[in-house]
Amino acid sequence: MIRPEQMDRRFVEEILAEPGGEHLLTCWSCGTCAATCLVRRFNPAFNPRLILHKAGLGLREAVLSSAEIWACSACDACYPRCPQGIHISDVMRAIRNLAIRAGYEAPGPAAQVDAATCSGCAVCTRACPYAAIERKPQMVNGQERTIAWVDRNLCQACGICVAACPSGAMSLEAMNDAELLTRVAAGGWLEQPGFLQGASDAPRLLAFVCQWSIRAEEEWERLQGLNDEHLRVVILPCSGRVEPAHVLLALSKGVDGVLVMGCHEGECHYQRGTYLGRGKVALLNEMMAAVGLAPQRVRFAESSALERRAFERQVAALREAIAALRPAEISEVRG
Amino acid sequence: MVDAARHPKITIKAYSEVERVDGYIGNFRAFITQKPRYVIEERCTGCGECVPVCPIEVPNPFEMNIAPRKAIDVPHGQAVPLIYAIDIENCIKCYQCVTACGERDAIDFLQEPRTEEVEVGAIIVATGADHFNPSVIPEYGYGRYPNVITAMELERLANSAGPTVGRLIRPSDGQPPHRLAFIQCVGSRDKRFNEYCSGYCCMASIKNAILLKQEHPEMEITIFYMDIRSPSKGYEEFYNRARQMGIRFIRGRPAQITEDPETGNLFIEVEDQDLGQVLEVEVDMAVLATALIPQPDTQQLATTLTLARSPSGFFMEYHPKLRPIDAPNDGIFFAGTAQGPKDIPASVAQGSAAAARAARVLNAETWEIEPVIARVEPSLCISAQGKKCGLCAAACPYNAIIVEVGRAAQIIPAKCHGCGGCVAECPQNAITQDHFTDAQIVAQMREYLREKPEEKILVLMCHWCSYGGADNAGVSHFQYPPDSRGIRVMCSARMDQDLVLEAFRRGAGMVLVSGCHPQDCHYISGQQVAARRFERLFRTLERLGINPERFRVEWISAAEGEKYARVITEMSQKLASFDKAALRRENEAARKAIMQRLLRWRSLPDMAAVLAEEEEEEKEAVLE
Ligand SMILES: Cc1cc2nc3c(=O)[nH]c(=O)nc-3n(C[C@H](O)[C@H](O)[C@H](O)COP(=O)(O)OP(=O)(O)OC[C@H]3O[C@@H](n4cnc5c(N)ncnc54)[C@H](O)[C@@H]3O)c2cc1C
Ligand code: SF4
Ligand code: SF4
Ligand code: SF4
Ligand code: SF4
Repeated sequence: MIRPEQMDRRFVEEILAEPGGEHLLTCWSCGTCAATCLVRRFNPAFNPRLILHKAGLGLREAVLSSAEIWACSACDACYPRCPQGIHISDVMRAIRNLAIRAGYEAPGPAAQVDAATCSGCAVCTRACPYAAIERKPQMVNGQERTIAWVDRNLCQACGICVAACPSGAMSLEAMNDAELLTRVAAGGWLEQPGFLQGASDAPRLLAFVCQWSIRAEEEWERLQGLNDEHLRVVILPCSGRVEPAHVLLALSKGVDGVLVMGCHEGECHYQRGTYLGRGKVALLNEMMAAVGLAPQRVRFAESSALERRAFERQVAALREAIAALRPAEISEVRG
Repeated sequence: MVDAARHPKITIKAYSEVERVDGYIGNFRAFITQKPRYVIEERCTGCGECVPVCPIEVPNPFEMNIAPRKAIDVPHGQAVPLIYAIDIENCIKCYQCVTACGERDAIDFLQEPRTEEVEVGAIIVATGADHFNPSVIPEYGYGRYPNVITAMELERLANSAGPTVGRLIRPSDGQPPHRLAFIQCVGSRDKRFNEYCSGYCCMASIKNAILLKQEHPEMEITIFYMDIRSPSKGYEEFYNRARQMGIRFIRGRPAQITEDPETGNLFIEVEDQDLGQVLEVEVDMAVLATALIPQPDTQQLATTLTLARSPSGFFMEYHPKLRPIDAPNDGIFFAGTAQGPKDIPASVAQGSAAAARAARVLNAETWEIEPVIARVEPSLCISAQGKKCGLCAAACPYNAIIVEVGRAAQIIPAKCHGCGGCVAECPQNAITQDHFTDAQIVAQMREYLREKPEEKILVLMCHWCSYGGADNAGVSHFQYPPDSRGIRVMCSARMDQDLVLEAFRRGAGMVLVSGCHPQDCHYISGQQVAARRFERLFRTLERLGINPERFRVEWISAAEGEKYARVITEMSQKLASFDKAALRRENEAARKAIMQRLLRWRSLPDMAAVLAEEEEEEKEAVLE
């Protein structure tokens, strides 16, 4: 039972006084945000409505000590749907600010800087959509150098900095290049001959899919189930995390096509990820054309959580485009 | 409707529009334009033989465009009067209908719009409401997914006189739905669109769910809702019956609908508040319980009849509790959803009430009005001298003033409600208000500021709100310092800038102008007239060398006793912080300029009397 002394009116007032927290009490708990929230699809324990409701009751300890208050990624998918016009991510930020002041820390994961390799170039600082990276003087091997420093209370583990860092100094649990490559190649998938080489009966595709651009948990599971010798699905936190080197490696190994799927422009969970992902694919296409590879083989596609079976449609379209390439390319290879 | 059509004392003017209304209670003149039907009313027998021969089919808006209508048709089967009309925009003039009509000879392509003038004693506005178009909510997919329909479309699809003869089918494939969802509060209770509750939709969805469940017991019906609002007689029992019948109620506002492009089935994602879990519910068809919204031509009608609108956009009543049927203008009444969302029983009740209110007017030989009205002194009005002015008419919320160059402004007493806005606006002091003349107000001021004026806060308060607020502060024992003195007028619109200046001339320490919040103003837009006026006064005070911090404007409702006490306390603290000698010097320095400005007052007989009395007193004081 929640006892009266746990319901702390002062806590409510502190949130209301915090910038962004002003509208806490107008939430009427309709659940629209909870059913919209993309984070909740991967982390069912996170329920923005319940956090707002508990905060409105003044349950200070329960709210400030919970891991969930750090989970909101400020994607603002819920905000345009809230019938009370509550900017939920702002309220979350207000609550987090109180938590930080009370000595709590985000549970992570967060990006990590390898101080020895970081050159202090600040590419990550500019790339991070959450302004979580600063350049700070730090002692490295007995020397003071100005290098990147990640505020783990702000980092949302999108991995954009990992892909952006030219020195390979940034890393993120389970999202490092090496780990991604392992997922791409597992089971010797990369080592099989391709359709365009005249070997496979159907095009073999590698798909990098942003976790937010697909619908729901079960869709996620369904995608994993689609994996076979012709298709490999690698889920990324964001299409901006795609690594061009991996795409080129796959093509050089004989994979027929690569699909990168991200959110629609303007709906990116990390604000700029779609822009980055699409830019990378466009650059790859140019490079491919320059070296005589058909650029149609690598494609960027947009989708959203509102679209059913978008992934299958994109895979089928890419397969078709590659099938149309076969005679020409085979003769090219043979000639 | 049929009864109304047969009634000897009721004339129905269908296909007509009210273009203009002049006059006032008991004596309105309405200009009504009848649009051409291209069918002669007296000759049309309503046989409908012209319809089958007409080759033109266009979507029928009455059937929510689900079914077609002909270019010659009636809006629907129960139309009263049952007279056909030609939709001239779509007619190709093949004249097949003329042949079909034959001897009845009712079709006349030469008809023109006809305007007639009708004298009426009272007007009832019962123009109803429109319904919200949910295609602006992308997450519900209306307009994109064929099986997402509105409540109004369901009404037609489930109606035995409707386009499917009552057979409910899905638009995507014509198959009957087995799983049906109702989504409540679409466009209502949603700050993005309409903040209000539409009131009818909980019960209307439950009604349709029950009707469908009775007819198709195997149908799986789910109602998604935030709250079920069933406050009227018998409604809660009806709601219980729906639950008993197995209609499923899920408390939660759906976040989105997605469609399987192959089957056309819909997936509704919602957090079940009671479980705290997100559900995905698959249905064959979803019905959106859309909001009632003001008719698109509400503003036009408001201008025609000089009516006001509430923040929600519906017509505003005189008083929400005490006079919910009356318009702020005498002789005009409201019935039904034109005044605000409501269901049929409430609309009928209001309709009967409006008829009774109107009957009072029709049966009265004379009509008593409030004694507080404005009067023009023709000799002072510059309009009479051929100059263009009309400031009074622009300020009048009731359109009660007629200004024609060459004639003095004329106030129609039956239309005047006595806000006093014109009195304060008139730069010639040509208008005065019974019971609230400038002289009466200045006489009060004189008494209040007779002694130690620099230690007093002079408050101008409106009768309906801020006076009530001050009263409320007293009744509720909210403490505030005793240095304020209040003068009551009917509306903040009556508060002349000159009255504020006069208070400073008489040495007041501070002046507070207070009235209603804009939405509470008793005189439609009186508060707005005042708000605009006093925005300008701060600059004037500065120019006169009076610290503008000594003047304050606050909107205080009758319930805000606490606010009244707080404002006075704050002002009193501020006043205490001023050096009194400096205040006196400030007032003294401004005195002459203000006197100059108020010179015209001396030409008003009653004001001159007040001022003369004062000069006498001053002389006596000097002698002593
Ligand atoms: C889908 C739906 C289902 C509903 N179901 C129920 C229900 O089950 N039970 C219930 O109690 N209520 C229900 N309601 C509410 C009900 O429809 C209203 O309460 C009721 O119709 C209001 O009556 P009214 O006379 O005010 O307006 P209306 O019925 O809208 O009538 C207004 C009339 O004025 C005419 N008009 C408009 N402008 C002008 C003009 N400028 N000049 C001349 N004429 C004009 C219109 O053409 C219309 O005929 C439902 C509403 C909707 C939208
Ligand atoms: S902003 Fe995004 S992550 Fe945060 S609660 Fe809303 S939907 Fe969830
Ligand atoms: S992982 Fe994303 S949020 Fe975290 S520091 Fe890197 S770019 Fe910023
Ligand atoms: S009546 Fe019911 S469905 Fe309609 S707006 Fe009010 S709460 Fe929502
Ligand atoms: S402005 Fe007010 S006082 Fe003047 S005529 Fe109009 S209603 Fe009467």
